[in-house]
Amino acid sequence: MRFETFVALRYLTTSRRRAHVALIALISIVGIAVGVMALIVSLALLSGFQDRIRTQMMEKSAHLRISPARGDRLADPGKVARALTGIPGFVSAGPAIEGRGWATDLEGTSGFFIRYRNGGAKPAAEGSDARITSSLAARLRLNSGDMFRVISSRTRLSPIGPIPVAVLLRVSEVFGSSGLSRSADVEVSDDTARVLSGIAEGAGAWEARLADPRKADAAAQAARATLGPGYVVETWRELNAPLAFALRLEKVVIFATIALIIVVAALNIVSNIALTVIEKKRDLGVFTSMGATPTSLQRVYLTLGAVIGVVGTSIGVVLGVGLSLTADRFQIVPLPSDVYVMTHVPFAVHGAEVAAVAVFALATAMLASVLPARAAARLAPGEAIRLSR
Amino acid sequence: MTLAIEARHISKTYTGEGAPVTVFRDLSFSLPNGDFAAVMGPSGSGKSTLLHLIGGIDRPDSGTIHVFERSLQALSPRARARFRNEQIGFVFQFHHLLPEFTAEENVAFPDRIAGVPEREARRRAAELLERVGLADRRDHGARALSGGEQQRVAIARALARKPGLLLADEPTGNLDAAAAASVFSLLRELHRERGMTTLLVTHNPDLASRCDRLFTMSREGISPSLGLSERG
Repeated sequence: MRFETFVALRYLTTSRRRAHVALIALISIVGIAVGVMALIVSLALLSGFQDRIRTQMMEKSAHLRISPARGDRLADPGKVARALTGIPGFVSAGPAIEGRGWATDLEGTSGFFIRYRNGGAKPAAEGSDARITSSLAARLRLNSGDMFRVISSRTRLSPIGPIPVAVLLRVSEVFGSSGLSRSADVEVSDDTARVLSGIAEGAGAWEARLADPRKADAAAQAARATLGPGYVVETWRELNAPLAFALRLEKVVIFATIALIIVVAALNIVSNIALTVIEKKRDLGVFTSMGATPTSLQRVYLTLGAVIGVVGTSIGVVLGVGLSLTADRFQIVPLPSDVYVMTHVPFAVHGAEVAAVAVFALATAMLASVLPARAAARLAPGEAIRLSR
Repeated sequence: MTLAIEARHISKTYTGEGAPVTVFRDLSFSLPNGDFAAVMGPSGSGKSTLLHLIGGIDRPDSGTIHVFERSLQALSPRARARFRNEQIGFVFQFHHLLPEFTAEENVAFPDRIAGVPEREARRRAAELLERVGLADRRDHGARALSGGEQQRVAIARALARKPGLLLADEPTGNLDAAAAASVFSLLRELHRERGMTTLLVTHNPDLASRCDRLFTMSREGISPSLGLSERG
């Protein structure tokens, strides 16, 4: 063990006559541990929810979407389809035919503004079947097998003038709403989507699904290389960028807020080490008389901060990770199933986040000890000895 | 005759919270290598300050100090620390043992600061404690030792690096007559065995008279006491 570590550890552990310093050290350790634990649990909670949302993105969004750089129709859908089938990890592709309209019950007493679309790269509904979100089903009081009407924003000419295009559909399935951008409230067959949107041929965009959505960026690169200019290739991450940004921002804000606990604990480290420096002023002089360099003395107090940081962080990591895993494993926090899609609050511990929290806590503890450690190194040793007679 | 210490025209003034206090001005002093010398003088004449300046734990405002022909001021802080570690041993009036550590750990500190592995440093410390007659007290905390024992441990600590120069600031000043005589005899024996230059500050004329060389310090400066100097 190095001389500096040896001295620092002894200062920290022999507290018989220095109860006040030991108490402050203990408060610092507990403060850091609580801060680290709170940060890990909060981030695990957010990650739990966000992982679910990300999974939904991967499940419900198209993994790749190709649209024209100009205009609202793909000039050569065949070329797009060929380009998509050639990319690594390709599973399926299809035209995206979508639009906006109103969904009403058969009596027409209530109507709601909706987005409709075909299946895109996923298998579409058949005939006059429609898959609708649970929220629309609730608002129109529809169940599987019920009939309802979708009225397009498009009109057609009739003998009595322009009238809206309307189709009668049967609810084949009710699915959970995802809340993702571009997600549709009503999924219909290709034919129905073409009738409602008026796109008789081709499509405004082409969508593809991949075997591994996490490799969407590489697939998008390949598609861009094949297609050349004139096309916009977006991945599922880009399609949901605003939501992904909001999720990231949420984590940053939570981190910054809860990290304040660690910062407050670090202030305790400053006072702890400053007190030790004052108390051990004579020791500094004696060590100097034995040939210790100012850097070496500074290192003693930096080590003191590091030890408090390491102990506090270790306890915090163990408690935080343990609590998160336990809460997730035993579903400790239940959620009302009629309000949330999930039955309990999910916790997901991400190694990188735990590492980031640990590094932040350790760095803060070290930083807190720099100032008093520098003061220790600057003390005049002769004066320290002379005044401590 | 090579000189262990050569101080030329050194001045020192402390500027604390109150008015500046000039400890000495334009003081010159030298000590041959291998001598066993004492400095006497009234309180406040700057004896301890002189030891601190010679040991390089304080700096003179002006003048030069050479120890074993090396200028302390010319050394970088790191080099000065290393020089002090290797060449200079300090013994203080109040022993200044570190209370959180055992006698053996205290004695091992100079070696550990020098980077000697812990086990080797402890082995050497145990040997030194045996030499000063405290083999059975090595695991005792500093507070568990008597005044005389504490000062013996402090002497062992000062000798850990086999220094060429031992500076002792009133090493017997805080001890009763018997313990003081015992500690002084130990210093004398160690000097004979190891041959290191020893400069000790004392208020005890009896002990001072048993040194090879005696200097008297006052506000006016430092001067050798002739009767004793001739013996050295």
